Amino acid sequence: MSTVSETISRGQPARRLRIDGWRWGGRAFLVFMLLYTALPMIWMLLTSIKSGFAAMQFPPQWWPDQPTLASYQKLLDPQNSVGQDFLRFFWNSLIVSTATTILSVIVAVPAAYAFSRFTFPGRNFLFFAVLLRNMFPAVIFLVPLFILMRAIGLVNTHGSLVLTYLTFGLPLAIWLLKGFYDNIPVQLEQAARIDGATRFQAFILIVMPLSAPGIIATAIYSFIGAWNEYIYAYTFLSKNEQLTLPVGIQRFFSENTTDFPGLMAASFMMSVPVVVLFLLLQRYFVRALTEGAVKH
Amino acid sequence: MAHVVLKDLVKTYGSFKAVNEVSLTINDGEFVALVGPSGCGKTTTLNLVAGLTSATSGDIFIGDRVVNDLDPKDRDIAMVFQNYALYPQKSVYMNLAFPLQMRKLPKGEIDRKVREAARVLDMTQLLERKPRELSGGQQQRVALGRALVRDPAVFLMDEPLSNLDAKLRVQMRSEIKRFHQDLKATIIYVTHDQLEAVTMADRMAVMNGGYLQQYDSPAQVFAHPANMFVASFVGSPAMSLIPLEASMGNGGAVLTSAEGWSLELSPRNAQKVARATTKKVVLGARHSTIKLHKSAVPGAIPAKAYTVEPTGDVTFVQALLSGAIVNISVSPNIAVTPDEQIWLEFDQERMHLFDSETEMALEAN
Amino acid sequence: MTIVSGKAEARRRLQPATSDVLRKMWEHRADYAYVLPAIAVMLIVIAYPIYYTIELSFFNTPPGLQLRDKIFVGFNNYTAILTSGVFWQVTFNTLIWTAASTFISFVLGFAAALALHRDFIGRGILRAILIIPWVISAVAASYIWKWIYHSDFGIIGAVLVELGWATRPPNFIDSVSTVLPSLIVVNIWREFPFAMIMMTAGLQTVPEQLLRAAKVDGANAWQRFWHVTFPHLRNVSTVTILLLAVANFNSFIIPWIMTGGGPSNASHIWITHIYELAFGRQRWGVASAYSVLLFIILMTLGYFYVRALSGNERKDGSA
Repeated sequence: MSTVSETISRGQPARRLRIDGWRWGGRAFLVFMLLYTALPMIWMLLTSIKSGFAAMQFPPQWWPDQPTLASYQKLLDPQNSVGQDFLRFFWNSLIVSTATTILSVIVAVPAAYAFSRFTFPGRNFLFFAVLLRNMFPAVIFLVPLFILMRAIGLVNTHGSLVLTYLTFGLPLAIWLLKGFYDNIPVQLEQAARIDGATRFQAFILIVMPLSAPGIIATAIYSFIGAWNEYIYAYTFLSKNEQLTLPVGIQRFFSENTTDFPGLMAASFMMSVPVVVLFLLLQRYFVRALTEGAVKH
Repeated sequence: MAHVVLKDLVKTYGSFKAVNEVSLTINDGEFVALVGPSGCGKTTTLNLVAGLTSATSGDIFIGDRVVNDLDPKDRDIAMVFQNYALYPQKSVYMNLAFPLQMRKLPKGEIDRKVREAARVLDMTQLLERKPRELSGGQQQRVALGRALVRDPAVFLMDEPLSNLDAKLRVQMRSEIKRFHQDLKATIIYVTHDQLEAVTMADRMAVMNGGYLQQYDSPAQVFAHPANMFVASFVGSPAMSLIPLEASMGNGGAVLTSAEGWSLELSPRNAQKVARATTKKVVLGARHSTIKLHKSAVPGAIPAKAYTVEPTGDVTFVQALLSGAIVNISVSPNIAVTPDEQIWLEFDQERMHLFDSETEMALEAN
Repeated sequence: MTIVSGKAEARRRLQPATSDVLRKMWEHRADYAYVLPAIAVMLIVIAYPIYYTIELSFFNTPPGLQLRDKIFVGFNNYTAILTSGVFWQVTFNTLIWTAASTFISFVLGFAAALALHRDFIGRGILRAILIIPWVISAVAASYIWKWIYHSDFGIIGAVLVELGWATRPPNFIDSVSTVLPSLIVVNIWREFPFAMIMMTAGLQTVPEQLLRAAKVDGANAWQRFWHVTFPHLRNVSTVTILLLAVANFNSFIIPWIMTGGGPSNASHIWITHIYELAFGRQRWGVASAYSVLLFIILMTLGYFYVRALSGNERKDGSA
């Protein structure tokens, strides 16, 4: 093999050059993408450790002359009102996202399993109906849902958000998990049932552990979706103590229009939980996509 | 151990009939093979016995119980799957222990039984491994072990050897046979490989198109196939089937080929032909019952060698006769070349005759 | 025939008659229990809103009026929309926004996936960094970029001035001509990682043997990509592009937070416009009519989405 390619390249030096051209092109492209991706985040971090005065200079301080953690201290200090608000928003986001995640898994797992294993009439119709949910923007549902939530007394509660967020995560969750269940041989369950397990036990003891990467991926997706959601939270919640982070930060900014270091620090802290979560578990996510969704 | 009875078992999927009025009795301690080509209904039948699918109609008895409405776990069966179905996240030990844990046996007893099964199957050193770290043969053995730890009434095996390579298959074949002899276990064994059925089973049930074709000992099935399907399915190379025209006259019978030659039948075979509903009769002959001559002999039929396949201890010659391919086995020291003129002599004692319309074997009386 | 799984049963089953369907539904009644929670949630949060939106689109709701006192106006809302100049401007913006964001995100994401396909030191870290923008909240992203584009203290403007390419920092998001492209850059920043993840997963399914065979047959890198890799990824690409297109068509946060649709509607897209009509100007009827039109467009896109997905299903079934 190697001798063949050597003779070819010796015969046609142009080709060797072209292959190298591709490789160098790829590297240059990756450097460009790295700059495009990272520079805004780096600028966010650099701004967040400047004082308000230092941020508002022209030309800017490329590197902060006197780096300070004042913005972070302010946001995390439960003694002052900004810190109280921020910590409360953070806590609200955590509650809503966690509840959404747990419920998503509880609802999506049996549904995906049924779509994968059973052949009840209407299976395909229901499956695609669920997937179609992804097609529609939040705004379409906003007015009627607002009215619905008001009717059932859920406005200004986190319950309204959890219920709504469930429907974002579910389609992808069901789709991903179905791909996983499709790949688990049905004989494993049959073996378990013959070995003395009920259908439910076979599912819990044998199938669930095997679909763990899919479930983890589903959970990450739901959590991130709920953590970052803005439009429903913005519409459904009006009381300050109920707000989640995205809306809370927006409100904070509209009151402190020039506190860019504070805003950048808040943006950074809002991003930390989801980024850490995702980086820790991203291999499950890519694996879930490869084994579940894309493989079909 | 227990006997198993299938009574008029039917399974339909929509308008497709997967299993059709199958009735079988499997005696206590008997090794029965369900054999047939893909789609013949053999695995469906096994799944019905296991309770993995429910029957459209008919009854299944295990021991003296009707088990139609019982869950698989309550039928007291064990099953070995084609792909082994080992739980990938569990170690070999936990795979073997799982059926016992499900039955809530005390820990000490589970441990004792698992180690005993591991000892019998010679895999004590593999107990801590995960299934993916095992070879195909070892996985197969774990699957067997998981079936036997529990000491069930019936063992069900679904093509357990078909994922193994040829050499291992032969070895595992004898191991399973040995296992049956030692345990006196009732085994229902599904395979598409007639050789496995013939070599291992006490009785074989040949299925095709959802129907049971013949149920008898391998020797009987081999010697007296009930119909053309069984005749061509069992035995390798397959029995040669030659379509011919029968004509009766002065006490005897003659089979005539469209090619012009004819074959005078023995009185017993003439009797069989007389019972046919049609004049079109199919002559069946196994490779070993046809004698090959290199020169004309009275009663022998001229043919042309088509291909020659030496296998070492026997050489298979294929000849074209009346539009059918005929397999003949000859000793390797007889040299035959393709397109050579040869003469074939049929053994009237061991020849089969079939009604070409009903495809059923013709019997003397 | 060796395995009778659910799928095999489904394939073998012929088209059943209607009475058959009811019987089967009854036979499978237990199976529905598994999907019931999912369906119930979906019904409450989807079916009802759709019905309500369609109803409301035929009514007028003057500001200050209670919703239950709405006035029936027939198709007036629809004709009002289609004859307004803003509608066409917003539609044009939406088209540019969706097409540019989708196309560039896909190309960048696919290229990044390809460039990251070959293993090298630091690949994992680089991939992780490239994914981060997709994970962080669009609200945070909007503020970061708003600060970067800031007309007095923005870093891009400062760099341009520093390099001597501009005498004073340009107004990226305060000027009608540059606002939409500027926002699209932000949107792509957040979206290309999704395409990258999808295509990375897709690339892992390209059979190595096929690529080797093509190499033996004398295909160069470009030919191998064009004749082997790309055709293999057609399905994943279709799904990715559709998902991106739908997500972009439905964007809200970035334009809403960064510009609120301005200046003079130059960055209004359908969704922000609908939101403003409904919650800003209380014109629920018109907003609903907009939503219904949007719904029709999305159903059309959805048809292709389902077709792409069921194409996958079919391939899966026959494999």
